[in-house]
Amino acid sequence: MSQASSSSAPASVAPVRFSPRRVWTLAYATMTQLMRMKILPFLLLFCALVAAMGFGFSVINPEQQLSQFKTMSLGVLQVFSLVFGIVATALLLPKDLEDRTLYTILSKPVPRFDYLLGKLIGVLMLIASGLIIIDAVLSLILWLQQSMLFNAAVSQLHTENQDTPEAVAQIREIVARQGLTWNLHWAVWAIFLKASLVTTVALLLSCIASSTLFTIVITFCITIIGHGHAMIREFIFQPNLGSTATRIGTFILAAICPDLAQFDVVDSVANGEIVPWAAVYEMTGIAALYMTVYLFVTHLVFVEKEL
Amino acid sequence: MSATPAVSVNHLTKVFKGHLGKGAFRAVHDVSFTVEAGEVYGLIGPNGSGKSTTMKAILGLLNPTEGDTRIFGIPSMEVASRRSVGFLPENPYFYKHLNGRETLHFYGKLCGMSGDQLKSRAEEMLALTGLEDAATRRVGGYSKGMLQRLGLAQALIHEPQLLVLDEPTAGVDPSGSRIIRDLIIEFRSRGITVLVTSHLLEQMQEVCDRVGIMAHGRMVREGRLDELIAVENQTELVFENASPDLLAKIDALVKAEGGGTRLLRSGHPRTTLERLFIEATNEPKKP
Repeated sequence: MSQASSSSAPASVAPVRFSPRRVWTLAYATMTQLMRMKILPFLLLFCALVAAMGFGFSVINPEQQLSQFKTMSLGVLQVFSLVFGIVATALLLPKDLEDRTLYTILSKPVPRFDYLLGKLIGVLMLIASGLIIIDAVLSLILWLQQSMLFNAAVSQLHTENQDTPEAVAQIREIVARQGLTWNLHWAVWAIFLKASLVTTVALLLSCIASSTLFTIVITFCITIIGHGHAMIREFIFQPNLGSTATRIGTFILAAICPDLAQFDVVDSVANGEIVPWAAVYEMTGIAALYMTVYLFVTHLVFVEKEL
Repeated sequence: MSATPAVSVNHLTKVFKGHLGKGAFRAVHDVSFTVEAGEVYGLIGPNGSGKSTTMKAILGLLNPTEGDTRIFGIPSMEVASRRSVGFLPENPYFYKHLNGRETLHFYGKLCGMSGDQLKSRAEEMLALTGLEDAATRRVGGYSKGMLQRLGLAQALIHEPQLLVLDEPTAGVDPSGSRIIRDLIIEFRSRGITVLVTSHLLEQMQEVCDRVGIMAHGRMVREGRLDELIAVENQTELVFENASPDLLAKIDALVKAEGGGTRLLRSGHPRTTLERLFIEATNEPKKP
């Protein structure tokens, strides 16, 4: 052990700056901490559920079969990522505070913003890892399913002596449109953006509230309200609706809640519609903007928080 | 000693705002003290006396309502002040999924350490705290005493000049408690300043150079331990080989007796820190 000098000069007063390395250390620790919460078995269960959905339904027609599979699996994926993001984030800060881990971390030269960002990135990394794995499983099942459905449809045409090149091409076109395309990955990306945004809201609320349950319930409420943002805006811009107080309240609600409908591309993808690049950029930009604002407010709250 | 104290607390007052109809609570009221570099300072007081609040203010975890706290001259609310501090909270918990070595690496990285420097420092701390054999065991399986020693190791990982220890022996068995006491003495010999709170007054008496006694959010006694426990209105005579007869005639004979009897020391007899603590903390509360 090196000798500490009792006569040494005061420590350097150079400010402690933001450090990506420190943030990564915290993010990695957060991710491994969450992984210990038995998240992997849950992920495997989800993959099994997706596989069952892929092959378990009776064949109606190739188009409906593929569409139904995408709608259900992406829907479940969305719920999974939102629930995980909210619950995991709501638990993190109170747990660190209860275990006094927060004290040992913040009594080191660690700016509070680094801590917050590390926690957020840790949760997002785990959501992203889960989504990548599920996306890969989903893609594989969709590809297998589209191949099987195409072969089955062509066999059916052949049995009925209707396997003309035009009919086969039409089946191929339908299956290709509803099968594995980049659209599926954009849908998963949109799900990730929505989950990231809701996770940031949960982080903000967990800094304000002392109760985990409160954070979870209010974040779920904001998530539900966020999906109806268009209705709120419509109400605000209708001149003769509601009292002034109601309108002010609604305006505040619109300002606080993110517009989550911006990320709803699952139905479009399930219907085989193409998600343009511009829409992907727009979704990404909106999510980044919202998250920056929420994170900034979270920092303002957390930096003043008494531990 | 350095002119800059390791810790300075100036007129610290902390009032917690009341919520939902509850009134505000004044946890610390106008507390001032300094901890000089290189000394072991004991902050003692009953539960709810404001010790932990004072420590949190020193560490920048709480914003003072009035007054200020500094570490080596740097305001505690500045993150830079924590470069020279290691903190061991009461009953610390660490990430259970990490083992002892990984825990030290985690805290070292937070302090900007890396590579061989971090590895060798972590091994050094494991050796110092006697956790080498448990280095690869998950922290979730550590005993209370091992957790406290790991807490000390993480507090020291970045070679701080000041150690803040909140009840370092709480819940630890006597032998573990003795190990921690010996470590504190070791830190002092290496020039590390230690600010410590504990309910084990006998141990505090053994390790502290100076103490501050808090009660009802105020500092009720403060100073050098040997001065504080001296009883001012009594005189103590210490003899070697004194017979009962000699003790009976002590006032008249001590100088005339001569021979093998010697007056070794004349001064104030000591009370114990425990007795002083009880007296100080039972004084009526000031308005």
